[in-house]
Amino acid sequence: MIVVLLLLHGLVAVALLGAITHQALSVLPLAAVKGQRTFVDRFRGVNGPAYATPIVVLFVVTAIGGALLYPQYRIDVRPALEDMQNAAANGVFEIKEHLIAIGLGLLPAYWLVWQPDNAQGVAAASSRRALTWLLAFFVWWGFIVGHVLNNIRGLLP
Amino acid sequence: MLFGVFYIAAFYFDLALFRYYPEARQFHWARTDGIGVVILWYGWIVTAALASAAVAVAVPRPVAERLSPRWVWVVTTLVVIVTLIYERRWFV
Repeated sequence: MIVVLLLLHGLVAVALLGAITHQALSVLPLAAVKGQRTFVDRFRGVNGPAYATPIVVLFVVTAIGGALLYPQYRIDVRPALEDMQNAAANGVFEIKEHLIAIGLGLLPAYWLVWQPDNAQGVAAASSRRALTWLLAFFVWWGFIVGHVLNNIRGLLP
Repeated sequence: MLFGVFYIAAFYFDLALFRYYPEARQFHWARTDGIGVVILWYGWIVTAALASAAVAVAVPRPVAERLSPRWVWVVTTLVVIVTLIYERRWFV
């Protein structure tokens, strides 16, 4: 059961990572493209507002999955890391749990700044960009740390 | 906007509303020794959610609307920086 949950958690996280990365690049203030569009141009050329609600849902679902997996981590993985005297691994996970919690609290504001009613003004645009990049940072951190810790026994000698 | 501030305060001052003991599969309001490792993370999140919801209810809407949306990411960025500085303890 825990393996199935771990796989589902990872799959939803992949979807979240893709969505937030598309949206984060879409708000970069780059000049309009003339001529042939590159891969990056097409990658960032998405309808950013359409991603906001799916990202909120995916973030919440991924966080709930992580919360359900957390007891197993606390019982099995963390003591093993402590036995290996790998404080850094515990540290990056601790930071992950903080960032995901802060990200959960950020979601209402993030969702609001992406609503069409709040699309006007310099403050709204800069806030939309900053909140999206903050959330992208949280998701990337969580994703990388989750994968490294999941595979840490194979990664370390 | 204040959720992150309350979360970090709950974490730093050990203000988890409740504690979960995964080996015993029990929730407790207070510290309970002898039943294994403890998870405080759920309690910190609920503490922060309740505190920030209380502020959201208490602050009048006109006052809240006068705040620039920039404050949300500025405060959150500061919270993240403070968190990362505090968590350096794992890497020294």
